[in-house]
Amino acid sequence: MDTKELETTALLAQIELGKGDLARLGEAVSQMLDNFRKMNELDTEGLEATTHALVTDNRVRPDSPVPSDLADALVERSPELEDRFIVIPNVL
Amino acid sequence: MYQTFVGLEIHIHLNTATKVFCGCKAHFGDEPNTNVCPVCMGYPGVLPVLNQHALELAYTVSLALGCQLSHRTLFDRKNYFYPDMPKNYQITQFHEPVGQNGSIEFALADGTTKKVRIHDVHLEEDAGKMIHAGDMTLVDYNRAGYSLLEVVTEPDLASGEETEAFLQAFQRVVRYLGVSDGNMEEGSMKCDTNVSINKAGAGLGTKVEIKNLNSSRFVKKAIEHEQKRQAAVLEAGNKVSQETRLWNENRDVTETMRTKEGGLDYRYFPEPDLPPFVPDASFLKRIQDAQVELPLARKQRLVREFGLSREQADFVTDARFTADFFEQAVRASAASGGSAMANWLMGDVQKELNHFNLTLEACPLTAGRLASLQSLLDAGRIHTKIAKQLLVSIFEEDKDPETLLQEKGLESIATEQQLAPIVESVFSAHPNVVAAVKAGDARQKGFLVGQVMKATGGRAAPDLVNALLAKFLA
Ligand SMILES: [Zn+2]
Repeated sequence: MDTKELETTALLAQIELGKGDLARLGEAVSQMLDNFRKMNELDTEGLEATTHALVTDNRVRPDSPVPSDLADALVERSPELEDRFIVIPNVL
Repeated sequence: MYQTFVGLEIHIHLNTATKVFCGCKAHFGDEPNTNVCPVCMGYPGVLPVLNQHALELAYTVSLALGCQLSHRTLFDRKNYFYPDMPKNYQITQFHEPVGQNGSIEFALADGTTKKVRIHDVHLEEDAGKMIHAGDMTLVDYNRAGYSLLEVVTEPDLASGEETEAFLQAFQRVVRYLGVSDGNMEEGSMKCDTNVSINKAGAGLGTKVEIKNLNSSRFVKKAIEHEQKRQAAVLEAGNKVSQETRLWNENRDVTETMRTKEGGLDYRYFPEPDLPPFVPDASFLKRIQDAQVELPLARKQRLVREFGLSREQADFVTDARFTADFFEQAVRASAASGGSAMANWLMGDVQKELNHFNLTLEACPLTAGRLASLQSLLDAGRIHTKIAKQLLVSIFEEDKDPETLLQEKGLESIATEQQLAPIVESVFSAHPNVVAAVKAGDARQKGFLVGQVMKATGGRAAPDLVNALLAKFLA
């Protein structure tokens, strides 16, 4: 993976990388991509993709409210509140 | 000349009691950040679990729109960083949505119909709400995680007017199905609009996406603005740039939206926390049972079956409740046809609903009461003016027409035996008028009719009054 591609990937993931990180991770990511390339060589024609192992039944829940007793605690963890709204810098 | 292509991405809030991946209440108007939990606040280590009812509603819509239903539906992560989405990704469907390749037929203003292809129907979660206030932004996550259904159309619409009619038809469909209230003004239905124009016959142009449209009228205006703007760009020999624009409802224009740095690469990948959903036979049976006759089909049937005019059928089928009410009333009234019933609903009933500020769903008039009112008319026991009076009484007193008729003694005087003595006494009280009419002054006949009506409290059957006057004056 070239440096430019790695920088774009880091930007999309909102990760800040230093010069040293780029060199080190560039090599590691290239190694990973090579491994995927190798796996891609296998013939999977006609096989259904396994997205989840060990799941046999549907996992759903009924549409009945189960209010969380953590709501207040979660809101109070915010650095700044106003009338229970969470206050953040203007992002528009 | 230019040809216009419009495709829509319509989002509707599904009528579920809870959010799509957690047990928090899905309820408008609560205090900010009260319906939240670690799942919808995006805390690490939590596990989303699918709301079965949301899936049922998603499949119900897909089937109603004639889509191929997924036998194994999957969820994906759409990655983006914005404070309205605390997980930094939205759970949506990309690779295997609930439904694909459907269509909706709807009526145009001239009465013809048009078919719009549906690309796909997928289930996802809504984001939180942000209020921008000066140099800060207030965030409320009550809405984060609401079940949201996105319906994506192909670019088959050709004008603003057509798109507005389509959106209204779509809204009726989701309301008939009972899956959403589809209210654009209140935000339970939203619509991103893709518009491109090109020289006729040259295929699609460069797509421009318009956001921030919260009524079907704004969608129409925004498309019409884009048609002009893009035509001017092309006329000047320039290229339309592919971008997202925002509708400015104060200025009636679309404006370039600041694009997010780094471009839009959502890096979709299968959601590892949600297993696939495989609908079983009983699930599919429930989806079948939830199907209803759709508004357009119903309108066409009512025209066929009851001989309604297009205007009458449009009015009656606008809401499913009204259509049900109409059919019940027609079937319960002995003689009358659908046209008389439709006229009641469009005219005097609507007038009283407006006057009392009520809805048909919650008012003293039932289909049975309207049917018996019409039956009294058909049987000649009351005439039109009295029927209208009785309708008002139903609204005021919440009683059956028959009861009101007895209590108020409003039954028509419709036999010659009853009416003849009254006409005679009017004649003997006004000999001069009678003489004048007999001498050829036909204008004064109206005075005699009025006197008979006055003497009977308006209950005399108008036809009989005229017949008796003619007889007595001969
Ligand atoms: Zn929650």
